[in-house]
Amino acid sequence: MADNSISGKTDQILVEEHSYVRTLILNRPRQLNALSLQMVSHLLELFTIYEEDRNVKLLILKGEGRAFCAGGDVAAVVKDTTDGHWRLGARFFWIEYTLNYIMATYNKPQVSILNGIIFGGGAGASIHGRFRIATENSVFSMPETALGLFPDVGASYFLSRLPGFFGEYIGLTGARLDGAEMLACGLATHFVPAMKLSLLEEALFKVNTSDPAVVSTIIDKISEHPPLKAKCAYHRLDAINRCFSKRTVEEILSALEKEAANGADNWLSETIQSLKKASPTSLKISLRSIREGRLQSVGQCLVREYRMCCHVLRKDVSKDFFEGCRAILLDKDRNPKWEPLRLDLVSDDMVNLYFTKVEDEEWEDLKLPARPSLLAASSMAKL
Amino acid sequence: MASSSSSMDRVSWRAQVLTRHLQQPSSSHSSVAPVLESSVCLQYAPPELSEKFDFDVREMRQLMDGHNIEDRDWLFGLMIQSKLFCPRNSGGKVFVSPDYNQSMEQQREMTMKRIAYLLDRGVFEGWLTEKGAEAELRKFAFFEVIGIFDHSLAVKLGVHFFLWGGAIQFFGTKRHHDKWLKDTESYVIKGCFAMTELGHGSNVRGIETITTYDTSTGEFVINTPCESAQKYWIGGAANHATYTIVFSQLHINGKSEGVHAFITQIRDANGNICPNIRIADCGHKIGLNGVDNGRIWFDNVRIPRENLLNSVADVSQDGQYLSAIKDPDQRFAAFLSPLTSGRVTIALSSIYSTKISLAIAIRYSLTRRAFSVSPNGPEILLLDYPSHQRRLLPLLAKTYAMSFAANYLKAVYVKRTPAANKTIHILSSAYKATFTWHDMKTLQECREACGGQGLKTENRIGQLKSENDVKSTFEGDNNVLMQQVSKALLSEYIAAKKKKKPFKGLGLEHMNDSCPVIPAQLSSSVLRSSKFQVDIFCLRERDLLNRLASQVAERQAQGESREYAFLMSYQLAEDLARAFSERAILQNFLESEASLSVGSLKNVLGLLRSMYAMVSLEEDASFLRYGYMSTENDAAVRKEVMKLCSELRSHALSLVSSFGIPDAFLSPIAFNWIESNSWSSVHN
Repeated sequence: MADNSISGKTDQILVEEHSYVRTLILNRPRQLNALSLQMVSHLLELFTIYEEDRNVKLLILKGEGRAFCAGGDVAAVVKDTTDGHWRLGARFFWIEYTLNYIMATYNKPQVSILNGIIFGGGAGASIHGRFRIATENSVFSMPETALGLFPDVGASYFLSRLPGFFGEYIGLTGARLDGAEMLACGLATHFVPAMKLSLLEEALFKVNTSDPAVVSTIIDKISEHPPLKAKCAYHRLDAINRCFSKRTVEEILSALEKEAANGADNWLSETIQSLKKASPTSLKISLRSIREGRLQSVGQCLVREYRMCCHVLRKDVSKDFFEGCRAILLDKDRNPKWEPLRLDLVSDDMVNLYFTKVEDEEWEDLKLPARPSLLAASSMAKL
Repeated sequence: MASSSSSMDRVSWRAQVLTRHLQQPSSSHSSVAPVLESSVCLQYAPPELSEKFDFDVREMRQLMDGHNIEDRDWLFGLMIQSKLFCPRNSGGKVFVSPDYNQSMEQQREMTMKRIAYLLDRGVFEGWLTEKGAEAELRKFAFFEVIGIFDHSLAVKLGVHFFLWGGAIQFFGTKRHHDKWLKDTESYVIKGCFAMTELGHGSNVRGIETITTYDTSTGEFVINTPCESAQKYWIGGAANHATYTIVFSQLHINGKSEGVHAFITQIRDANGNICPNIRIADCGHKIGLNGVDNGRIWFDNVRIPRENLLNSVADVSQDGQYLSAIKDPDQRFAAFLSPLTSGRVTIALSSIYSTKISLAIAIRYSLTRRAFSVSPNGPEILLLDYPSHQRRLLPLLAKTYAMSFAANYLKAVYVKRTPAANKTIHILSSAYKATFTWHDMKTLQECREACGGQGLKTENRIGQLKSENDVKSTFEGDNNVLMQQVSKALLSEYIAAKKKKKPFKGLGLEHMNDSCPVIPAQLSSSVLRSSKFQVDIFCLRERDLLNRLASQVAERQAQGESREYAFLMSYQLAEDLARAFSERAILQNFLESEASLSVGSLKNVLGLLRSMYAMVSLEEDASFLRYGYMSTENDAAVRKEVMKLCSELRSHALSLVSSFGIPDAFLSPIAFNWIESNSWSSVHN
């Protein structure tokens, strides 16, 4: 694909046409549909074309195989950055975030069928859309802090808008949610059992309008309200609100430890463990990002996340992202050596730097496309 | 007036426009993709799409908020995420604000529930037990944020922490600190502050509550001797408070020792009113109904001797009155000086209230159109009308100026030394009055600038008028405070002349220099120079102070007392206090400006400062009345105001975005007001 890799077609995205409906299939099953540069570029191109195409009223997004999408292909990004220049890696995120923004402000409903894992970038490619269908196979997670990164792809927007401080909880710990829990907290708009998915798609193929109310009615007919499993974290929302509302990561941890002192249980110790295993720098910038995101528009969130991301790629403060990828994705020893190693060694100044402009003459802030449809779009995404 | 034929043209053209609007709705009602079809119906376009951002909004916010930005955002987030703060969805966005449609009793209970939530989340940690400027600034930052949500919530907290807690801190000694501060911070006890009486408000020295000492039991006995002595407006007293500070005349051995403060329990932990205490409700108010103001009567209430807050004076076990300060006037002044914190916080919160209303009204004026200047031409944005700019942009400039002045006041306050008490007292009096008046004026103008939408409670501005009105009289009536400012300036003047010493402090040093000369011709560049602006503000202050001094002296020479002479000079005193405040604000502005390096931020601040100076020149009749400016110069000033309006117009959105108030704390008309009012939103 050489020069045209950004705009060229790839069989990593398959397109099916059914009258007014286009089904886009993430087709990289061996990599659990992890988003490559080609995929995000192709998706961006398709979304842009379909927005103008009056014969397209509805988009369906799903994954081939047992995953919806395992996230951005960060191993490739790390390779690009290590072999070449950080700007190569930054280009991937520029396109991915632009795609996230287009989805968040799209004027036609996007129905994402989340029948499998939805990690990181996979969430970015679906949660911003109007309808998110969970199934009994759904497994959601934002695992970035364990990787030395931070929940990006507009996660500071959608996580911060979940009930109470649930967003901080899943954003910092990378906790996994099942389909029922996704529905309960609002990450999913519907739950449809996997065996009824073909029925759902058949019904959606008949749609000839972009009216979300009509689409909603169709999905409502097939969807179910599964009970929450007894051990799911959403039952712990009170404790989550008590602890994850605290001002700093240190205070969150000590609040959790205080709860554990009053009666330890599996959930508490797992939560504390995952925070202790995560990159301290990641935890601090992630918390700050979610807190800022709560008060910002989705566009502002993505611009800020792009800044943060470029600082990560440039190793301006910490190399944790590269160390995390080495330990989790490449060497797979699952034993990253974070630096700084402890929360108290990550100073406010270090955290602040992630939120500043990058000092490089050629660098620029993420330039989001003008969205004439922004008017209607604010109500399309229902977070 | 237009001629009758052209006004007829206009009528028929309006009719055409309306007809076109009316013929369209079929497409928007059909089920076919209403959101996709473009129509000639009005569309909301976010102002961000068309307005430019010439400077870094984050940087400006840092300058304006000054400190604890991340802490502020954390607290905003805490409120947005809790149902207690009534999040409501409108036009695709979430807004928080109290439900003012609830009954008074419900609003009061909600205030307490919100306090419990914030307490639980650790917001008040260290408010009374941590010392130092850093802790104090964080407390101020949180208090400002809370005030942006609701004035009742801020006042209820202010009474508990700053009045009750502050009285213990400042009037009490170690035994009181150890016993009460920690329990206050954690709300084990709920405090209130009983100073005002039915018969006495600003004149605290005249209160009629009487406390005597019973040597046989070692107790104080508090009494309300007459109806006018009932404690009045006591925030927290009607429903929740368990303890109060009682201000009372202290009678020892038949001699009155003046006003003192005592700790008295008024309710038990279960909320039952204590024996010998009678409490009644102040009832429904025009605003601030989330605060339970009450009235209290004391019938031989006995309290232990230790409950006298004894930092200034004490009574020994055997009933001897002991005080290091012999002069009762000085004793009283020493007593009340710490209460300036209330005025400081009111001044600060008024500025944030103007920020809310200006952000809403200006955002609305950048999306709402009315009338065209040419037939069939597009309707014009409200803020593109020069007259609309003149209504809102000078107020915006004043808010910027006062915001810097408020930061200065805050900085002086947190770094206070006993030597700075006088400055803090005078500055906080002047700024409290000036800022709260500016607030009420701004709210009214913004309310009108939003037209009918300003009437809706959900749009905040109208409601803020009644919520904030009290600020002009509580913690010192504005008019009384301004007279006190002039009185203090006069004392400075008399002292300087008597001792033949130069003026020092309160920014009066300019009085030592020769009288500034104002150029006869005021060109635009002269008008915009800080030199001219400072000169003419100083000239006004200097001359008014001279005039006041000579008028008082003249009257005294005719045999009037100094007090009476001052009282009869109230017009000059009023002009002088205003001159003092505006000059001090201008200087605070210039100091903030000077701290910036050359760039877009500094440029826009220069415009705002000039606008502040020009509207002050335009609005205060003193400049013409006393001849500091010719009528020609006045005309030049007016022209400059217009020019500045058009130059500031392009910065309007970025200037209100720099206020750092999250969208959720503004209102639906500040955003997509078409969608928030759409039929589909009726059912949600």
